[in-house]
Amino acid sequence: MELFRQTNIDFLKYKWWAIGASWALIAVGVFTIFVQKGLKFGIDFSGGTQIAIRFAQKPDIDKLRTLLDGAGLGEIGIQRYETPEKNSVLIRVQQQEKEGRDVVGDVTKVLRQGLQTPADPNKIDINSEGKATLAARIAAADPDRVAGRSDTDPNSYYTQAADKVIAHRSELGIFGTPEQAASTEGISQGVKAWIQANTVTGPFVVLSADNVGPQVGKDLQKKALYAIVWSTVGMLAYIAFRFRSVPFGVGAIVALIHDTLITVGLLALLGREFDLIVVAALLTLVGYSVNDTVVVYDRVRENLKTPKKEPLETVINRSINQTLSRTILTSGATMLVVLALFFLGGEVLHTFALTLIIGIIVGTYSSIYVAAAIVVIWKDFKNRRKLAVVPAPVKAEPVQPAQPTAPTGKKKQKGR
Amino acid sequence: MGKKVQWRVLLILLTLVGAIAGFVLVGYARARKDMAGTGTPTLKDALKSAIKLGLDLRGGIHLVLQVNTSDALKAERDDAVELLKTETKDAKLGAVELPTDTSFAVTVTGETDQSKLDDVAKRFLSEWTYSTAGGKWTFTLKDVARRQIEDNAVAQALETIRNRIDEFGVSEPLIARQGKDRILVQLPGIDDPKRVKDLIKNTAFLELSLVEAGPSTQEALTANYPGGKIPDQFKLVEGKAEAGNRERSYYVVRRQAVITGRDLKNARPTQGQFGSHSVTFFLTASGSQKFAAATGANIGKRLAIILDNRVQSAPSIKDRISDQGVIEGTFSPEEANDLALVLRAGALPAGLTYLEERTVGPSLGLDSIKKGITASVVGALLVFVAMALYYRRAGWNAIIALILNAVLLAAAMALFEATLTLPGIAGFILTIGMAVDSNVLVFERIREELRNGRAPRAAIENGFSKAFATIVDTHATTIISALFLLQFGTGPVKGFAVTLIIGLLISMFTAVFVSHTIFELEYGRRQHIDAVSI
Repeated sequence: MELFRQTNIDFLKYKWWAIGASWALIAVGVFTIFVQKGLKFGIDFSGGTQIAIRFAQKPDIDKLRTLLDGAGLGEIGIQRYETPEKNSVLIRVQQQEKEGRDVVGDVTKVLRQGLQTPADPNKIDINSEGKATLAARIAAADPDRVAGRSDTDPNSYYTQAADKVIAHRSELGIFGTPEQAASTEGISQGVKAWIQANTVTGPFVVLSADNVGPQVGKDLQKKALYAIVWSTVGMLAYIAFRFRSVPFGVGAIVALIHDTLITVGLLALLGREFDLIVVAALLTLVGYSVNDTVVVYDRVRENLKTPKKEPLETVINRSINQTLSRTILTSGATMLVVLALFFLGGEVLHTFALTLIIGIIVGTYSSIYVAAAIVVIWKDFKNRRKLAVVPAPVKAEPVQPAQPTAPTGKKKQKGR
Repeated sequence: MGKKVQWRVLLILLTLVGAIAGFVLVGYARARKDMAGTGTPTLKDALKSAIKLGLDLRGGIHLVLQVNTSDALKAERDDAVELLKTETKDAKLGAVELPTDTSFAVTVTGETDQSKLDDVAKRFLSEWTYSTAGGKWTFTLKDVARRQIEDNAVAQALETIRNRIDEFGVSEPLIARQGKDRILVQLPGIDDPKRVKDLIKNTAFLELSLVEAGPSTQEALTANYPGGKIPDQFKLVEGKAEAGNRERSYYVVRRQAVITGRDLKNARPTQGQFGSHSVTFFLTASGSQKFAAATGANIGKRLAIILDNRVQSAPSIKDRISDQGVIEGTFSPEEANDLALVLRAGALPAGLTYLEERTVGPSLGLDSIKKGITASVVGALLVFVAMALYYRRAGWNAIIALILNAVLLAAAMALFEATLTLPGIAGFILTIGMAVDSNVLVFERIREELRNGRAPRAAIENGFSKAFATIVDTHATTIISALFLLQFGTGPVKGFAVTLIIGLLISMFTAVFVSHTIFELEYGRRQHIDAVSI
C-alpha cells in the first residue's frame, strides 16, 4: 500500500497563508491566557491539596461542599472524577497560608464526621484504616490465640491476614458492609468473626491525596521553566552542531517555539491544567518538533549537494515531498498510540495524551510551514539584498559513520 | 556475506536470550525478597515483580520534610546561656536577651566580674564570637559552627527517621537528604498516611521530672510564686487534654529532669489489666542509677512523665524504682506500639514540617496498571496492524523489531532497577510509536531507491545507509529533551524520562541492526531477487 507516491505539491506557495494561520492560532492562545489571567496551574505548581475519594454510594456534592466550607480551609473545589459509576470525586483545597497544616487529615476527618453516623469508638473503619493498623488491632485481640505459640509470630501472622483483606478492598474498590470484608478469601474463621464484630465500613476510601506546600510549588515552577528553556537551548546547540547554518537553526527553533506556544495556548483554551505530567509532554514535544524538522532538513541538505543549480524553494519543496510519506506515517503511528492513551489510559494521563495529540499535529505542520518556510524567506530576503545570488549549499559535512556502500549525492533526479 | 549474517543473528539471539533470562532472574530475586520466606515464588510471581513499580502504581507515600534547623540552633544557644550562667556562678549576671537564634546578649552589672566572664567565654564558648558595648556582651555563633550544627541536625533527623521506618517495617523505603535541609521519604506499599506521618514527625522527647505543684490552672499555679513568676529552676508544663474537659490542667515541675529519653535502653507496648494499652520503658545502667537515687529520695512525691512538653501522667512514687517505668494513657493498640517504637528509635534533634505529601492508595495503583497496560496493548496492536498493511512483508520485519524493542526495554528496566511509573508506561508506549519512525525512514528510502530503478539488494543497502544519519538525528533530539526531565528528581515524571531514554537507545539497535539483519536473512541468500515486498 502506498498513499503518497511521488507527490509534487507546491507547499511553499502557501507559506504566507500558513504563517498567517500560525499567528492567528498563537494569538488565540495568548488571548485566552490573558483573559484567564495566566495559565491554570495544577497543584504541582500552584501548591494546595488535591484528594481523590471514592464513595460507596453516589456522592451528594452539595452536601460535601457544605461540610467542607465549614472547615476553615479557604476555597474548595469539588468535581466528579473518573466515570460516574465509580462514585468518585476530586476535592481541591487552596494553598494554606501556613506551611505544614495537615489538610488531607482535616478534610477526611470533616467528611467522616459529617457523613458517618457516630459509631462505636472501639470499632475501626475498615475503609479508611491501612493494613498496618488493621494488623495491629487484630493482633491485640488475637482471635486465633497464636500469642505464645513458639512457631508463630502474631504480628506477621495477622499482617498476612490484613494484607488479604486490604487487597480484597482494592479489588472491590470499597467495602459496603463488614460482612463483605469478612468474606475475604484465605483468612481464618477467628479473623472473620473479629472483623464482623469490630469493624464498621466508613462512607469512603481515599484513592489518592496530594499536598504541595508553597515552597515546593515554587521550586517545581522554576524547575519546569528551566527545563523548557534549557531543552530549547540544547536543541539549538544540537542543530547548530549538526547543520552549522543560521537560517536552518533559526527555522528549527522558531518552529519549536511556535509548536510550544500553540500547544500551550490550545490547552489553555480547552481549560486544561498545567502540572508536571503536562510539562513532561511539552518537553517530549520539544524533541518531537525538532525531530520532524531535522528529517526535512537532512533531505534538503542532501539535495543541495547535487551540482544542479536550482532555486532553493524548488529544492525545499522537493525535499518536503520526498519526506512527506515518512512524515505522515510516523506522525500517524505516534498518533495511534497517543490516541490509545487518550481514550484508555485513565484520568491521570488524559491531559498528557491531549498535549501530545495537539503537539503532533502542530509539530508535523510546522516542520513544513514554519521550519522550511523560514529558510526560504530568510534566503529570499538575503538575495534581495544582493548578498548572495545563488543559494549557497550548506557547508559542513554531517558527522556520519563510514558508509562504504552509500553512493550519496550521485542520485539521478528521475522524472523531475 | 553469509558468515556475517550468521554472526549477526547469533548476536541478536544471544541478546534476546540474555534479556529474557535476566528479566526472569531479577524477577525471582525480587519476588523472593518480597515474600520474605513465606513461600517460594512461581514463574508468574517472578514475571510480575521483575520491574520495580513506582509509588503511583504500587501505592504508597511520598513525603518531603523540612528539618527546622533553627530548633537545633536555639537549643545550642540555650545551652551556651546555661553554661555561662553555671560557670560564672559567683559573678552576678544581669538580664539575658535572645535577639536571634544564633546570638544572645548579657548585660553586665557593677558586681559582674568581667575578667571571669571573659575567661569563661574563652574557655568554654570557643564557637562563639563576642563583642562588648555599653555594658552589654553580645555573643554570636560562628558561621562554621552554625553550619555544622545545621548539618548535624539534618543528618541526625535522617538517621532517626530511618530507624523509625526500619522499626515500623517497610520494604524498600527510600530516605534521602535533599538539598540543605530537606529529607525525602518514600514508602512503597504503605496505606496509612496519617499514622506514618505522625510516627515520623513525633519528636518523642521524653522527660521524667519531679512535680512541684499541680495539676491546677495556670493562674492558680503562678499565683503561688512571688511576682507571679515561676523561678528559674522550675517550669510550667501543660497537661494532656482530658476527654470531656475543655480546661487544660498545668503542672509546675523541676527544670532539671531526673532522666530523659537518652537514658532509655528499650521500650515496648504493654497491655494493662483492663485491656488498656501502655508503654513500658527500660533504662540503661547509668539511667537506672539516677532513677533509683531520685525515686528513693522522693517517695511520696509525684513524678511527671513528660512527652514533647506535655505531661502524660504524674503518678506518685510509691517505692524506689530502678530500671523501668510505665507510661500510661488512653492509648489505642497502634498508638502504644508507635510510641514505644519512637522511644526506641530515639528523639529528633529538631522539629519537622511537611512540605510535600503524596499518597496513592492501593486501589488506584491497581486501576492505573490495568488502564496503562490496556492502552499500551491497544496502541501497539494499532501500530502493528498499520505497519503490516502498509509495508506488507517489510511491515512484519518492523513488527519483529518493535517487539524485540519492547522485550529489551522491559529487561533493561529490570536489570538497571529502573522504576516504572504510570507516565513511564506512557513513555513505554510512546517509545514504540517513535521507534517505528526509524523503520519508516528506512522503508521509505528503500521504496524510493526502488522507484529510481535500483536493484532490490542495492536498494535495501542504500535505504539503510542513507537513513542512518537521520535516524541518529531523530533519536538525539528526543533524548536531549528527555534528559532535561530527569532534573525533576524522583517521581512519576522521572520514570517517564528514564523509560523514554532507555527505549530510544534500544530502538537504535533494533530498528537499524535487527531490521537490517532480517532483510539480509530474507533476501541475502538468494542469487536473484525480483522484488522486495515493501
